[in-house]
Amino acid sequence: MTDVPADALTAPRRSLRQRLSNPALLLLPAFAFLAFIYVQPLIDLMMTSVEGEPWYADLARVFSTPLYFDSLIRTMQIALTVALLCALFGYPAALLIQRTRGVTQMLVATAIILPYFIAILIRTYAWMVLLGRNGPINKVAVWLGIFDEPLGLLFNRGAVLLGMTAVLLPIMVLSIYSSLTRVDPALKRAAMANGAGPLAAFWRVLLPLTLPGVGAGFLLVFVQALGFFITPTLLGGPGDMMFAMHITQQADSVTGEGFLQALAVVLLVITLVTVAIAGRLLGFEFIWGGTRASPAPKPAKAVERTPRRGLSATVADTVGWPLLRMVSGLQARWGAWTVRLMGGFIVAMLVIPIVVVMIISFSKASYLTFPPPAYSLRWYEKFFSDSNWMDAFWNSLGIACLSAGISVSLGATAAMGIVRSTIKYKSTVMLLLVSPMIVPPVVLGLSLYSLFLKFELVGTYLGLAAAHSIGGIPIVVVIVAAALQGVDRQLEQGAAVHGASPLTVFRTVTLPAIAPGLGAAVFFAFLHSFDELVLTLFLSSPRMKTLPLMLWGDINYQLNPVLAVVSTLEVLLVVGGIILARPVLTRRAGAN
Amino acid sequence: MIVNLAERPGASDPAALSGAGPQPQTGIGSGISIRDAVKRYGSFAAADHISLDIRPGEFVTLLGPSGSGKTTLLNLLAGFQQLNAGEILVDGKAIHNVPVHKRGFGMVFQSYALFPNMTVAQNVAFPMRMAGLDRATSDRRVHETLEMMRLTEHAQKMPSEMSGGQQQRVAIARSIVMRPRVVLMDEPLSALDRRLRESIQIEIREIHRTIGSTFLFVTHDQSEALTMSDRIAVMDAGKIIQVDTPDEIYRRPRNRFVASFIGESNLVEAEILRREGGALTLRTRTGHQFRAESRDEVTGRNVTVLVRPERLRLHETAMPGSIPARVRSALFLGEVLRIEVELDSGEVMLVRCPDRAGQVLPDPGSEVHVSWGAEDGWVLA
Repeated sequence: MTDVPADALTAPRRSLRQRLSNPALLLLPAFAFLAFIYVQPLIDLMMTSVEGEPWYADLARVFSTPLYFDSLIRTMQIALTVALLCALFGYPAALLIQRTRGVTQMLVATAIILPYFIAILIRTYAWMVLLGRNGPINKVAVWLGIFDEPLGLLFNRGAVLLGMTAVLLPIMVLSIYSSLTRVDPALKRAAMANGAGPLAAFWRVLLPLTLPGVGAGFLLVFVQALGFFITPTLLGGPGDMMFAMHITQQADSVTGEGFLQALAVVLLVITLVTVAIAGRLLGFEFIWGGTRASPAPKPAKAVERTPRRGLSATVADTVGWPLLRMVSGLQARWGAWTVRLMGGFIVAMLVIPIVVVMIISFSKASYLTFPPPAYSLRWYEKFFSDSNWMDAFWNSLGIACLSAGISVSLGATAAMGIVRSTIKYKSTVMLLLVSPMIVPPVVLGLSLYSLFLKFELVGTYLGLAAAHSIGGIPIVVVIVAAALQGVDRQLEQGAAVHGASPLTVFRTVTLPAIAPGLGAAVFFAFLHSFDELVLTLFLSSPRMKTLPLMLWGDINYQLNPVLAVVSTLEVLLVVGGIILARPVLTRRAGAN
Repeated sequence: MIVNLAERPGASDPAALSGAGPQPQTGIGSGISIRDAVKRYGSFAAADHISLDIRPGEFVTLLGPSGSGKTTLLNLLAGFQQLNAGEILVDGKAIHNVPVHKRGFGMVFQSYALFPNMTVAQNVAFPMRMAGLDRATSDRRVHETLEMMRLTEHAQKMPSEMSGGQQQRVAIARSIVMRPRVVLMDEPLSALDRRLRESIQIEIREIHRTIGSTFLFVTHDQSEALTMSDRIAVMDAGKIIQVDTPDEIYRRPRNRFVASFIGESNLVEAEILRREGGALTLRTRTGHQFRAESRDEVTGRNVTVLVRPERLRLHETAMPGSIPARVRSALFLGEVLRIEVELDSGEVMLVRCPDRAGQVLPDPGSEVHVSWGAEDGWVLA
């Protein structure tokens, strides 16, 4: 956007018309919107956190109060453990998707990816049902004689780790799977033709080549887990308070202005530092599941890379290789069965909770028990006849439609701007646009609260829809930018050469090509808003209930099967949407 | 004369027959025997009762259009796919129970398949690491092999830092570093441009002669097959149609498919009048008599006769045995002129005459006469 002086001297001055047709201008609406509702409140938040006397007083209090400091350490531990568990279980699941074929592959992939699009709140609720005293796990264990009587499996660290791993696992699987598909299948054959057994081929070739994917997944899971709020609140006990939970708690009790913000800033800074380090190592593209844009290595880089390769090779040689030699006597089938068993276990872990909840929604009992003593539609009747639930449903629907509209109009134009303009620092601009994906929602919610008070947006349709769009825009930008990159520029040039105006070119060539992507973007932006809970907790008023808010309230007070009904309806919504969006998703996956 | 119509060099000249390459000097190559091999995908037979015997140290090329089963056959040999019926013997031993990584073959892939996480030297050392060879032996062999492939100065580079041609030479180095008894190559040159392809073709021939392994080479490029092979196995629809030396394949193809797949060909429908052993007298549909050669097994009255474009002669005036024709198009291609003529019967024939001083391209539409000698026609089965 800035003209180099040399350019200005040699190039003829561009007319106003030409300047206005610069695609970089398409970035402006999204930037203005995000600057107002996203960047400015975060800056305000940081400013408030350093208003104490001296400026670091509030920040220092966070670290000197054992309650918060311990919670910070605990949060990091939990996030790290969850990320490790996800990597451990995610890899076999990704391998299972890659190794199966046809219908089986489609089913396995759907079983793993579908839960990703179902609200975290609902998936957590499903685990509460599963682990509850009358839940199927206790029932089966008692029946098998493992426990004498039902145990309290909920409200402990194990439940938190299990729930969070289950919730975040799809991200890891997707990340690893996409790096697996980028590995040339001939490499495995080449390894085998050169004398490597299946295990050696995996250790020497497949694993090293997919480590960046594992790393990206690990960091995504870690960063998301750092700011987790819903799952630990519902599944954890008093000893499992995570940092984000302290922030909401403090926000409710309204202690000293400044300290609350300091808590949020600490969480934000830790998140951003993690992302920055990860970005240096892997390229920031990992945030939106892309790959490093510049695969051509420079000569200087090759020199820099040598020691690191040496280190990993040494580790592989001294630790891994002798181990492999030991187990290489095992049959080749052994490895295949490990993948099948572990992958199958993961699929079960992701699917069973949802299925159980769907079954329970048809229960006749007035409390949660599985299997249901009898079946009925009474809870569906209750849901559809209860005006509170229906009001919440219509509110959510309205807000989600509005939010999807805002997200898609701003996000799609921004995607167009980023793909089609020739601005410098494209990746920085992209990073800015997708950064809301990594900011903990608790921090966002807190920062928005004062802005909403000032402009009287609390509990309004427009306010909530706009807040939800902060997270919706990145989704739209990523999907539409990918779709735009798939458009053959020569088709557009062909249309233009044969006399089509730019607008006609867009209408007749570009738009049809990206229409599936746009459709998917609309759906996912809608879903994002429809499921959003954390921001809504901060920004809604008692009179403005959304569906997730109602669920949240009911989960905390009465675990009745109406929640299962709502969950089932949400699952149906997601399944329907995915079936409609499937052609797009498979085309994107097939592009590899 | 419009064209200084070329005198064809004698086909019986023994020098012209030296298409077969020099024989390997060392004897590490395995004999391979494929017996009645069948590989089916559902109802589709990718390998349909294939039998082929390959001598130790021989360079055999599997040539065919895509989908003809040549890569399937290579994969069966490598062990990536399993036979449904039949067997494959290497040095007399059946290999169907030997897993891929224990077969000890070298293999070069179309996409190079170099491990991107390893340097050139590490890639080449990979088979020896897998075989558990000690570091010193491995280093020495890597060094020797890289030197042979003129890659020594690239040893520490990553594959991504090299050009396609260099990468393929690394892949070849990796396939021969263990001096395997059998080297399999799956269209290794198809991603390279023509010049590079031709230089690596020669290099592969050299390597074959130096190390003496049995080479099985898959390609769909007929000129590549002709240049490189001791013998060519032409494949179509999962079957081997003909196995012969390159010159036999070119000059005496078994059937229409082989004739038209390799080189350019004129196919003339004719009726057999007389038969004296392998020499026949035939008559075209327009009544012109000519002579041609055949295999003994040709039967029936109506046959197809192959005449290669370079064997045809053009005359301005009628000659004994010549057929009148009209020039449809004439192109100057450099070393040859490519002239298309149409016979009175409507059949179109292609003529290639070598470029000579003072030669003038005939005008389209001008009347000419085409002829060929008795040894130039080959009757297809």
